[in-house]
Amino acid sequence: MAAAKRDTVRAVQKKRKERDPEEDQKDAFPEAVGLEMMSDEESHGGEDDGDVESDEEVDQFPEIDARSDSDSDEESNWDEEGEDSGDDDGDEEKRTLASAPDSDSGSDIHMFPKAKTIISEVTGHPKRVYPEIEPDYESDSSTEDDPNRVGDIPMHWYDDLPHIGYDINGKRVLRPAKGNELDRFLETVEDPNSWTSALDKNTQMDKPLSPGELDIIRRLQLGENPDAGYDPYEPTVEWFTGKGKEEVMPLSGAPEPKRRWLPSKWEKQKIMKIVRAIRLGRIVGSKPTTAGDGPRFFAIWNEPSSTQPPPLPAPKPSLPTHAESYNPPEEYLPTETERKEWENTDPEDRERNYLPQRYSALRLVPAYDQFIKQRFNRQLDLYLAPRIQRTRLNIDPNSLIPKLPSPSSLRPFPNYRSLKYTHTNGQVRCVSVSPDGAWVVSGDDNGIVSLWEVNVGHEVKRWALNSKVGTVEWCPRTDASYFVVGTEDKLHFIIPPNLPLAVLRSTQSTLAPATLPPVTQASVKWSSTPGIEDGVILTIFLPPTSGLPRQVTWHRKGDYLASVSSSESQGGVWIHQLSRRHSQAPFKKIKGAVQLVLFHPIKPHFFVATQRYVRVYNLAEQKLIKTLMPGIKWISSMDIHPSGDHVIVGGYDKKLCWFDLELNDKPYKVLRYHTRAIRSLHFHPTYPLFASSSDDGSIQIFHGRVYSDLMTDPLIVPLKILRGHNVSDGLGVLQVKWASKQPWLVSAGADGNVIVWCS
Amino acid sequence: MGRLKQKGKAGAAKAYMTRSVAVKKLQCSLADFRRLCILKGIFPREPRNKKKANKGSTAPTSFYYTKDIAYLAHEPVLNKLREHKAFAKKISRALGRGDCSIAKNLEDNKPTYQLDHIIKERYPTFIDAVRDIDDALCMIFLFASLPSNDRVSPSLIANCSRLAAEWELYVMHSRSLRKVFLSIKGIYYQAEIVDQDVTWLVPYQFTQNIPSDVDVRVMLTFLELYQTQLGFVFFKLYTDAGFVYPPPLDTNRDETGAGIGAFNVRTVEKDIMPASKRENSTKKASTKEVRQAIKNIAAGSSPTAQDVNMDSVDACKTTEADEEFVPHTSAADVDTVASLPTLQSLSATPKFAPTSLFLPYTFFLSRETSRPAFEFLVRSFGGRVGWPASSGSGSPIAETDDSITHVIIDRPVVARLDESPEEKERRRRRKYVQPQWVVDCINAGKILIEGLYAQGVTLPPHLSPFGDKLGAYDPTAGLSQLEASAEEVPDSEGEPVSEDEPRDNATDSIDAVSIIPNDAESLRAAELAAEVSGVEYGTFEQEIQRLHKKQKQTAKSLERDEEEEDMGKMLLSNKKRKLYERMKYGEKKRAAERENLVDKRNKIEREKSRRVKS
Repeated sequence: MAAAKRDTVRAVQKKRKERDPEEDQKDAFPEAVGLEMMSDEESHGGEDDGDVESDEEVDQFPEIDARSDSDSDEESNWDEEGEDSGDDDGDEEKRTLASAPDSDSGSDIHMFPKAKTIISEVTGHPKRVYPEIEPDYESDSSTEDDPNRVGDIPMHWYDDLPHIGYDINGKRVLRPAKGNELDRFLETVEDPNSWTSALDKNTQMDKPLSPGELDIIRRLQLGENPDAGYDPYEPTVEWFTGKGKEEVMPLSGAPEPKRRWLPSKWEKQKIMKIVRAIRLGRIVGSKPTTAGDGPRFFAIWNEPSSTQPPPLPAPKPSLPTHAESYNPPEEYLPTETERKEWENTDPEDRERNYLPQRYSALRLVPAYDQFIKQRFNRQLDLYLAPRIQRTRLNIDPNSLIPKLPSPSSLRPFPNYRSLKYTHTNGQVRCVSVSPDGAWVVSGDDNGIVSLWEVNVGHEVKRWALNSKVGTVEWCPRTDASYFVVGTEDKLHFIIPPNLPLAVLRSTQSTLAPATLPPVTQASVKWSSTPGIEDGVILTIFLPPTSGLPRQVTWHRKGDYLASVSSSESQGGVWIHQLSRRHSQAPFKKIKGAVQLVLFHPIKPHFFVATQRYVRVYNLAEQKLIKTLMPGIKWISSMDIHPSGDHVIVGGYDKKLCWFDLELNDKPYKVLRYHTRAIRSLHFHPTYPLFASSSDDGSIQIFHGRVYSDLMTDPLIVPLKILRGHNVSDGLGVLQVKWASKQPWLVSAGADGNVIVWCS
Repeated sequence: MGRLKQKGKAGAAKAYMTRSVAVKKLQCSLADFRRLCILKGIFPREPRNKKKANKGSTAPTSFYYTKDIAYLAHEPVLNKLREHKAFAKKISRALGRGDCSIAKNLEDNKPTYQLDHIIKERYPTFIDAVRDIDDALCMIFLFASLPSNDRVSPSLIANCSRLAAEWELYVMHSRSLRKVFLSIKGIYYQAEIVDQDVTWLVPYQFTQNIPSDVDVRVMLTFLELYQTQLGFVFFKLYTDAGFVYPPPLDTNRDETGAGIGAFNVRTVEKDIMPASKRENSTKKASTKEVRQAIKNIAAGSSPTAQDVNMDSVDACKTTEADEEFVPHTSAADVDTVASLPTLQSLSATPKFAPTSLFLPYTFFLSRETSRPAFEFLVRSFGGRVGWPASSGSGSPIAETDDSITHVIIDRPVVARLDESPEEKERRRRRKYVQPQWVVDCINAGKILIEGLYAQGVTLPPHLSPFGDKLGAYDPTAGLSQLEASAEEVPDSEGEPVSEDEPRDNATDSIDAVSIIPNDAESLRAAELAAEVSGVEYGTFEQEIQRLHKKQKQTAKSLERDEEEEDMGKMLLSNKKRKLYERMKYGEKKRAAERENLVDKRNKIEREKSRRVKS
């Protein structure tokens, strides 16, 4: 009820305030109405007045309330005004005339009904009486004279029409004449009010803004409340409370409940619970928890610790040495170059984080400027550096090197260059020593094959084969003497000159027998020219496009001969039998490109080295026995020990693997000592020696002793590094071969030299 | 067939965690993670195979053990850090709103954490804790000397200086200081506490400023831990020695700059500490007392009557055997030592002797010497020490005291003309030494002759008592000795050259040539030297030839050796060869360093002798 009243009162006040701007205007007019206009704005006299008025208004509110509707209230007031105060009305009319003839009548509608102050007959106090409002035609704003009654529609609908709407009689309201732009501009210049006028859409004319509107615009610009009458700081009006406004009569006749005046039982129970808790000490008063409290250390190590092991202690920084002294011996002071070097290195790379300095007295020692920085670095080490536990090896480095017999006790072995035979141009790719150890045959890239003598290096004969020589191999037979030269797609069998007659005869009969056995193979052709005493006596034509034979190897008895061609096709490997003049390809299909082949010296086994593996086949049973896995990326060379139980394999990746065939597929020992690829390996046929040659131009001689009992591991002792070949085009020593009877080595290098190394 | 193994589910991928993953897992900020790592002593690990640990990536990251991170996740301090984060939000909100009362209330109930459990975890036994206090002491002493600023609060610095003083007090009373080294960085001290060597570095007394490239937060976090650790360690040390911890501080004295003198070391009542009673050997105390009394009489004055400041300490020293920490510790460890007479304990025993090195002496520090350092040094070896009022109050001995035997002075000699006769007499009776004398005496374990260290004299070099690396250059060894050993080092297997004639003048003069025999200039120099020393030209020639021959021989043998070594290296496995090469490299480097020092010394000696001659 009270709330409703308050609302209505507020509404009335608001309405009244809306009127204020107009009342302001009235100040300009004669003071006739001044006394009767009872609004906040006008009662400038003092706040007291306002208060008084408000107090008075309070009394009247029941009346207003009775009418309930403020709108009707207003209207009625308006009516009365119109009737009663004619002089006021005149004022109003004047005002409207003054402002604008066509101005919105809305401003007029809200004229506040004037109240009269009279002495109340009942109370004797002065009171205001508002004139009665008579609801008649004039009280309605709709009776305003409006030239265009088209309503609130978008006026652009009339854009193309000559009229802009209709008046009350339904006649067209014609569009007012509009001058051209120039006229309008001149008008704006001439008319001083033009800048305060705006287009009225309804009449399509410029109308000056009323001062009230201008004031609203000004306020909006200033960011103020557009309502001039609004006072944000008006004093509160106590309508229902305060002195003298107490309600005396109870609203309800019900007796006062007990709870109004008895203390609550439940509250008491809750409070008592807390009190009890405080007494018992369960709740302790909130002291500041953060305040430091005296002695907080106690015997923490008295109680037994957990069983888990303590974390490893951080490594301690190293203790200072003599150089760090403030007065070190003079030799510790850095020289100028050392100082510069120290200053030019990065702080992280410095071996010491200080420069030794010397002061003659302790009082002259300055503060150390890096102190905090170094402390900080230590802390960074403590919490940011990964730690690794290292066992410090306190051993002599020489103890790591295995104890080997001295090389001098393992003589003889080649240790000096005895003679050098030079091929004038081209690399010497292959060399071979005759079974009796007296002759050497060497072939170069220009197709020159030279036969020369080991002891003095005298060249006996030279053959030009007009094709790159891939391999040269002397037949191991002693009753016959010849060697094979592999050139492009061909194998030439050559008889050396000056052979004893018996040997020559047997050689000729072997290579070019009088009765040829029937030709069985179509792809490989054998053609011999009988009766030749020195020179090519037999040529085997390998299948075309099989390329340069990379390797030729003899079976121990000298009847079989295996050749490997450089072409990648399957037909790379051939086994030729001289007695039957027959060639066969042992493998129909083989995995990988064959690099090398070898005959086992005793058993009918055949070693085939592909790029990464060495496969051992049994030729008699025609099956694979085992595969050796040297772990080399690319096998370059291979040789088998004369006993047949040990194989060495060398690779382009510098590794040499020693296999014990009895033991395992994996190497017994892997050595890496050459700095470049290994090119060739060879076991000495009688001495316990083997040699390896490499692209770094060096030859390494080893003592490789093999024991017949299975328990003892083979003994490998490096003996000597032979250097004498030059490296040309990245190639060094291409082949090494031992002389069969002496501990002599023949090596062929890419620099065109063939060197004999003697012991 | 077993189950298929998924990638990243076992092995290194599981055992290691990168730092960012760890931070995400702990749901804390990186700063909090760093703090936790520091407090808990967690450090990154280096996985064997980074690629496996980091899901195939080889980007440079730091790895932590997953178990370490799991261990951190259960840490109560982590919760406190989270609470603190909430608290920081609340208080900034309150301050932003201007709610001072709420802010104050919050501030009063600020979440704090204790590190006691962490200390116990990281150092399960007391020995572990003592072993690891080196860094803590360095930091405490550093911060005790720092000025306070907005990041380093004055209370922190006060606490650090209190801890530092407590430590010095304890070391002094237990007489456990062993070695001192004056370096360019500061003063290194080494004490032996419960059979552990504790080394700490104290900066010289200058104001230090924290450089901008140092992260103070990290240092403060470390300091937090170190303060707690040292508190517990000191508590144990003090109570074991029968002292009250913390030692009460006399604020009046502290304000007048008394330094460690401001602390009173008080013994615990006997009945409370029955353990200390056991060690209480009255006999020793009485002998000490008697000795002290005799000394006092000999000095002709009663210092105890004169100085009030010192007498608490003095009284303790003279009357209470409890303070004799040395016998105490040995008594405590008596059975262990008896059962295990290890080499270390045996070698350690004679070290106990010089702890009362300065007992018969009284020192006076002149004003330019650093009072805290030398007071600490002298008093830890039983000496009495006084200082002028300019270096702080509380000096037990006045400058005019007759008992003063040594004056530690660090300024050049200035002849004073207006000396009164009694001053002259005093000057005659006292010995004026430079500060290095004290330190060298301590390191030598005996009183050195004062003449070398007298005022204004050029000091002998100050050497590190900690020595150098094994096989490094030894500055104390004679030059000839050095050269002999230097020659030995490069060719240890070199065959002895038969030398018929004893080395005479000629060989000495040719020493210079031996370095570079083919160098004409050095040859001429040697010739000149030979002429000067009066050697005939013939003999000189012979010598030169002999030397050349020797050099050639050694060169040849060296070559051969190298070749054989190379051969031997072939048969090594890859791993062993690398190890061998590393070791050889280190050896060579050390030898080069050593040779460099010997060369320098040679040069210096030659220069000196030339100067003497001229």
